[in-house]
Amino acid sequence: MDLQELILSLSRFWSEHGCVVQQPYDIEVGAGTMHPETFLRVLGPEPYRVAYVQPSRRPADARFGENPFRFGKHLQMQVILKPSPADVQELYLASLAALGIDPSVHDVRFEEDNWESPTLGAWGVGWQVLLDGMEITQFTYFQQAGGIDLKPISAELTYGLERIAMFLQRKDNGFEMRWGGGLDYGKIRHQDEVELSRYAFDVADVTMLRRHFEDWEREAGRCLEQDEPLVIPGLEAALKMSHLFNLMDARGAVAVTERVALIGRVRKIAVRCAKAYLEQRERLGFPLGLGNGNSKLNGKHNGGSKTAGKGAER
Amino acid sequence: MSKAEFLLELLCEEIPANALPGVREQLRTGFEAELLEAGLVGAAVAAYSTVRRLIVQVAELPATQPDREEEVTGPPVKAAYTADGSPTPAAVGFAKGQGVAVDSLRVVKGPKGDVVAATKQLPGRPVPEVLAEVSSRVVRALHFPKTMRWGKGEHSFVRPVHNVLALFGVRTFTTRVPVELLGISASSGTFGHRIVAPERIELLGSEGFGAYRAQLLKAGVEIGAAERRAILERKARALAVEVGCEVRPDPALLAELVELVEHPGVLRGAIAERFLQLPEEVLITTLRHHQKCLVLTREGHVAPYFLAVCDRPDDPDALIQRGNEWVAGARLTDAAFFFAQDRKAPLASRSASLAKMLFHQKLGTFALKAEKVGRLAETIAATAGAKIDPKLLARACELAKADLVTAMVGEFPELQGVVGGIYARLDGEDEAVWQAVYDQYTPAGLDGALPRGLVGAAVGVADRLDTLAGLFAAGEILPSGSKDPFALRRAALAVARICAEAPLACDLTAVARDAFAMRTDGAGDETRLAALLDFLQERVRYYLTTVAAVKPETADAVISAHWGVMPQDVARARALEAVHSEEVFSSLAVAFKRVRNMVGKSGEGRFDVALLKEKAERELLAAVEKAEKEVQRAVGHADYVGGLRSLAKLAAPLDRFFTDVLVICEDEDLRAARLALLARVEKVFLRLADVSRLSAQ
Repeated sequence: MDLQELILSLSRFWSEHGCVVQQPYDIEVGAGTMHPETFLRVLGPEPYRVAYVQPSRRPADARFGENPFRFGKHLQMQVILKPSPADVQELYLASLAALGIDPSVHDVRFEEDNWESPTLGAWGVGWQVLLDGMEITQFTYFQQAGGIDLKPISAELTYGLERIAMFLQRKDNGFEMRWGGGLDYGKIRHQDEVELSRYAFDVADVTMLRRHFEDWEREAGRCLEQDEPLVIPGLEAALKMSHLFNLMDARGAVAVTERVALIGRVRKIAVRCAKAYLEQRERLGFPLGLGNGNSKLNGKHNGGSKTAGKGAER
Repeated sequence: MSKAEFLLELLCEEIPANALPGVREQLRTGFEAELLEAGLVGAAVAAYSTVRRLIVQVAELPATQPDREEEVTGPPVKAAYTADGSPTPAAVGFAKGQGVAVDSLRVVKGPKGDVVAATKQLPGRPVPEVLAEVSSRVVRALHFPKTMRWGKGEHSFVRPVHNVLALFGVRTFTTRVPVELLGISASSGTFGHRIVAPERIELLGSEGFGAYRAQLLKAGVEIGAAERRAILERKARALAVEVGCEVRPDPALLAELVELVEHPGVLRGAIAERFLQLPEEVLITTLRHHQKCLVLTREGHVAPYFLAVCDRPDDPDALIQRGNEWVAGARLTDAAFFFAQDRKAPLASRSASLAKMLFHQKLGTFALKAEKVGRLAETIAATAGAKIDPKLLARACELAKADLVTAMVGEFPELQGVVGGIYARLDGEDEAVWQAVYDQYTPAGLDGALPRGLVGAAVGVADRLDTLAGLFAAGEILPSGSKDPFALRRAALAVARICAEAPLACDLTAVARDAFAMRTDGAGDETRLAALLDFLQERVRYYLTTVAAVKPETADAVISAHWGVMPQDVARARALEAVHSEEVFSSLAVAFKRVRNMVGKSGEGRFDVALLKEKAERELLAAVEKAEKEVQRAVGHADYVGGLRSLAKLAAPLDRFFTDVLVICEDEDLRAARLALLARVEKVFLRLADVSRLSAQ
């Protein structure tokens, strides 16, 4: 199964299970969690189900396209199920079956792996899911976001798409993995990796980055100080700050003593956004409902582990 | 009457491995205590678990709860009866409230005086009802390292719970126990292994716990941790033997693997020969750390295989083996990439980057640490009474932390030190230097071997003492109870152990003072320094009583005299342990206690020998002078037994002195002289041991 079939299959599967299929956020982010469709939607009582691919940038993980497993930008398939349904593990296993991975002939394990984002004031409890020893998904029950205790609790599934595609294709070099359209990942992305690495490690103008960090911090403040706070523009400013910080960090421009303080400045904005969002939704009367007996978002689900074609990935 | 049995199972989503052993223990002790409290005496409780289940079996239960009596205390006697002994309204009201006759009230002692008490009859209730309450209480009281909420967020537990099974019966489970746990009403069935046999298993009418266990085993679940371990070990050994290898012993990993599965399958995977060129430590850590694989060895070297554990008994299409092989290959390729990348520049060239790496918020960077450790190591080497080449020592300190900025340690933090050591070796550093870098974090407390050479020993002691002194100076959260976030107890114990066994005869109290001064520019808080010294002393005592295995009172006697030069402290303790059962030490302990009490009350005494005229005084003086010479010589030859025997000769003169001489006499000068004589006795004793700490038999 090539990368794009993987994306299509997962999108279709989660679409069939009541998810809004969203698009990647059009701002650089470090993880799908930062997309407002996760960070904001998990707040408050309104039920929600969403799935989307998010290109995630980790400038410090970039390796000039020389390491077959490390990318400065990679793809995550992010799924949010709010509230977490009782059969969320079974649903997840069924999503694997939709990829042709028949759990009945594999070893699927859920090993403790908790998640925390100091930048977002968020943490959760969960597992990394191992398929035959390969880490393919981060599975988290969100407990807090933007410093706010969550109720109901959302389940977050984050599929590492390159890893899964490499595993399914048995490729030990990510750049040789088939993307689709007859092309492999390297032909499409290798040059980006080289250039993004060069930029992050050698070229980025630290003075400019720092100036913009502060600019966006002020801008976020202005957005949130409006009579009716501008939540999305405020959060977007925080996301830009977060990416600018990551670039400065990769460039080696963040002094050790400064690190915690800079992250704290981003978190402060994120926390204000979370609070403003909740107030806004309350003012609007929680348009998506309070989740009492709400069934319209709980789509059908079928296709258990036993229905998938055996060993279809071969 | 036949005995009944109870079974409780909570089926959960995957529970973290590190929580399970503790939870089994809590379940067992919790049920034992609650059942006893409920009067269900003689019940036998056992707790089991898998990665998805918490299970309690209670056997030998009485089928009915015996009637019990409960004593309830009421008002004070004074308020309960009038002067003529008739009950007051308070007493009548109390009796009524408890449902007993007022003339059945008794008088008992309360914490604030006598009170009246009612003895209530509690008729036995149906045991399933009692078990429901007990289960609910025990489960509510369970403590986990971390809890979570899920779904609507109404319940909090280690992981979401999906099914509760609670059955009771005599020989056959005939009754569903009516309990609700975490919002789930108990049912009479459970489910098998998620992949192997996910179907529901009905257990009402089944023949007790044995039947439950057998049914689950058939459904791919082994509930016993010990049984899972045995299966795992047996399978692992067989797979190793097939390829002429042995399983590299790894008890910590094995203990974890046992908790990660419902049924342990083991499979053997192969790794490409080319990976065997990686340093073995890297190979082993890659397989262990990322893949939780057991490593196979052949003639002591890593063989091109690994064993992976999976949560099912079989691998029907060999997909699991191939998957694990692919992942292991990927991880090793990754490690090989890091290795190649790190090897592009010598280790020494990385030291500069340590200026950007924070050791601790209040204590600055690793570059700063490296500098302080270097200076401290120099002091240690100069006073250790051992030959340590200062150039090699300085080089080792310079390189020690450089591996923290390598890609390999970034990926495998637990290989810190080891990676630096390997790289230093490949860079052609002196053997003493690379071994010192390699060994700097060992031993971890009492576990593990010592650094291979004295350079490594000195680096290890200096590094840890700097950490300890720094954190104490900074007023960091210090170890208390089970909390020790910086593993300071282990660090201090390792210091004691390295000094004792390497050996390094430096004075730990002096080095610790130096380390503290270096971290505070000599302006540190004295109470924090005192806390640091107390903390070290406590670990030295622990070392003496566990590793040197002397009695606590022996350790106290040695430390109370003076402490810090570990090889001598150990030798003094062993010597004292060897001689102190001799009868003379018993009377010596008593006499020396008197000496210490008296000297403790006096100030600095002048000592006019001419004033001491009485025979007992002259005798004691002569004996002390002799003992001083002998002890001096004995200490010089590290002959502590000899020294102690010399002290023993003071027993008789001391006894006579205390019998014949009144120390606290009227004549002030004479009193001072006598106290000063005793101070001299004290001093010579304290060169070896404070024998007043020994118990007198």
